[in-house]
Amino acid sequence: MIEPVKLADFFIVFFSAASVIMFGATYALLFAWSRMRNRPRLMPLAYLGYVGLFISVIVLGVHANLFNSTFWTVIVLLMLLGYLVAPQAIWHLCVGTHADEHEPDPEHVKVFQQR
Amino acid sequence: MAETQTQALWWASESFWRKMAIWVTAGSFVVLIFLTFDTVKQITAGGKRVPAYSVINHRVDYVFDEERNFQVPVIGPEEPLFGKKLTEDEAEALVSKGKLTTQAKNCMGCHTLLGNGSYYAPDLTKSWLDPSWGSKEVREQSMVEFLMDPTDKLHNAIGRRMPNLGITEAEARATVAFLKWMSAIDTNGFPTNFQPIDQADAAPEVAVEAAPAVEVAAPVQQ
Amino acid sequence: MAALGVLDSANLNGGQKLAVKYFAVSVALFGAQVLFGLLAGLQYLNPEFLFGILDFSVNRMVHVNAMVVWLLFGFIGSVYWLLEDESGVPVVGLGFGNLIFWIFTLAVVVVVLVYLLVQVGPGEKSSIWLINEGREYIEAPRWADIGIVVCVLGFFYNVAATFMKGKITGIGGVLLFDLIALAGLYLAGMWFTPNISMDQHWWWWVIHLWVEATWEVLVGCLMAYGLIKTMGVRRKIVETWLYIEVALMFGSGILGLGHHYFWIGTPEYWFTIGGFFSALEPIPLVAMVVHALFDAGHHKLKSNNNPALGWIIGQAFGNFFGAGVWGFMHTLPQINLYTHGTQWTASHGHLAFFGAYVTMVIAFFYIAVQKWRGNVWMSGNLVGAWKWKWAMFLLWAGMITMTMALLIAGYEQSQIERAIGGSDWMAYFAAQAHRWFTQAMVWRQVGGWMFALGFVLLVWDLMTIGKRETRSTYVIEPEMAKAAV
Repeated sequence: MIEPVKLADFFIVFFSAASVIMFGATYALLFAWSRMRNRPRLMPLAYLGYVGLFISVIVLGVHANLFNSTFWTVIVLLMLLGYLVAPQAIWHLCVGTHADEHEPDPEHVKVFQQR
Repeated sequence: MAETQTQALWWASESFWRKMAIWVTAGSFVVLIFLTFDTVKQITAGGKRVPAYSVINHRVDYVFDEERNFQVPVIGPEEPLFGKKLTEDEAEALVSKGKLTTQAKNCMGCHTLLGNGSYYAPDLTKSWLDPSWGSKEVREQSMVEFLMDPTDKLHNAIGRRMPNLGITEAEARATVAFLKWMSAIDTNGFPTNFQPIDQADAAPEVAVEAAPAVEVAAPVQQ
Repeated sequence: MAALGVLDSANLNGGQKLAVKYFAVSVALFGAQVLFGLLAGLQYLNPEFLFGILDFSVNRMVHVNAMVVWLLFGFIGSVYWLLEDESGVPVVGLGFGNLIFWIFTLAVVVVVLVYLLVQVGPGEKSSIWLINEGREYIEAPRWADIGIVVCVLGFFYNVAATFMKGKITGIGGVLLFDLIALAGLYLAGMWFTPNISMDQHWWWWVIHLWVEATWEVLVGCLMAYGLIKTMGVRRKIVETWLYIEVALMFGSGILGLGHHYFWIGTPEYWFTIGGFFSALEPIPLVAMVVHALFDAGHHKLKSNNNPALGWIIGQAFGNFFGAGVWGFMHTLPQINLYTHGTQWTASHGHLAFFGAYVTMVIAFFYIAVQKWRGNVWMSGNLVGAWKWKWAMFLLWAGMITMTMALLIAGYEQSQIERAIGGSDWMAYFAAQAHRWFTQAMVWRQVGGWMFALGFVLLVWDLMTIGKRETRSTYVIEPEMAKAAV
């Protein structure tokens, strides 16, 4: 079912696991920041964050021996996909839930809705 | 534009998420309940994963299993604890007394059991099989004596000691029974790479049985 | 009306008068947690320190139990704090609530005294009924367990009856639902079995489903209220987000229980469940951080209570790092096999409890003192603001130092003791004697002293903040008025 991590890989597993979450947050925050401040130039940085996440997940998968079993491979794929969509979904929820917040000040709303 | 947006965003509406919160919680909980029924069945003493209390009448070993890819407890030939074979009821009473002792003395305040507890003293999951007890012949008595008066016994080089907790002989023996029983629980290979005390009999015929013990050493970490 | 800046209970409503009592006990127990943590930490450095008088097991037990109880008192206090405000009516059974408070406090004092003076008992049922139950976090003896459930149910009655009489807001509804779960789950940990696998299976129901599910949601409710109060965020938005967080937290957290079922005798399928839901658990935390940022962008961090806002922001980040990053680093079974039961867990536990819960309760302490002193000014240019800032800095810096030190110790332990040594007695002490470990313990103690200093400053600040202020706070409520309930 599981194949334990090799001793030599401990550090890289801890590090890549932490990176997954950190890059995930970076991606989510930059994505949100870019949309919120209407700075499209930040968007590539956000996706760079996702690239970092992608690499971290793969490194984690390799060193935690996740690719040796179908189930854990599926988990890796779900992580790659889920962590790609989740920050966007979160962003849309932020906008959606605040949609009627600035009725007297529609420019703000427009900024979000242009995308 | 803003208003139309508000109407359209059903997936961002309060009522949608209220329903989601309820359904997701209820759904997760129902799944958990089903899993719990199965798990409780599997971890009831007497099953494959958690053995009957009378397992203390037998030798318990911890051997690498190729198929499952980790060490598993192996129940060996009859080797009654303190040389006295117990019925299932007697064994349960003894283990139960031992478990109560571990709680009343707050063993978890320093030790971990199955890896849970505090980190000031060694894990007790496989303490019955710990090579530090010397030999299989003196193990039971050493454990009892240690539990009853640990303070002045040799522990380690860093000066950490177990305090005297006023454990009586009956409590110590019961605790040992509990520890022996606990070592027979299938913990999915935790702790890994543990090399048990040599339990082979002096008789030559059992030399074969010592083989797996050697094999345990094989998956030693790189 | 009392003079501005004077602690006067006339400034508080009935529920809030009771709340500040809970807060007072809460702070005292927080102090006990810090004190006994320091003692236990010192014993790592010098094992002879208090040996045979207050052994590590006793100090550690008081350390973790004080934490559970002070947070619980903080939560109960916080709920009483917002109860009349939320429901719109006075607390239904205030006298009853006061009675419960005194019983609860008395029981806690008795339990702690027994821990300290009696410490252990014979291996009989009577010991777990009267002295301690010997089960991490829920060591409280059985009589106290029953007392806790009765007190929490009494508290629940008060909250439920008050909301029913007044109006049940979104926050109120989630709160009620959560409190039932909280009290109900505690029952799972209240019976004796010789079967340690069964024992720990149910024990995790209490610990995990409290800490990673119901407490998170309770804090979500407090956060929601806190955001409305300190930043004036619209209720509708806050409540929608509360539901989102409940869905995400419970959706990932309830079955996240699986990551505690890897090694305690439970079946192998928990590997897959635990692994999958552990990967989901960071999502609500990231969502919270993003939404906090989004909100902050809207409100430009303008608040009427800067210390409270500071701690609330700290909550979002602390929860993210403590639970999210530190949790995910060692949660997959492939690595958890080596980190389970080492200082890794301690590192994660320290940061997560502090980040997720301590921060929120402290934020409520500040919300409380502000009103207690007659809605005194607590925004920019606050007189004596250095105190709350330094307290916050020292508490965080101390906690981060401890967390990092324990992380290093745990990293070493997972290798030397777990992977190489095979977790036996010799391996354990080989790891404990390793330089990385011993030095980490020194740094942990340094972090502990910093934290303790921060605590002292925090208490001083809570007692004095706003005392010399002459300005009244501005009222942040324009958005509240629009809130449809």
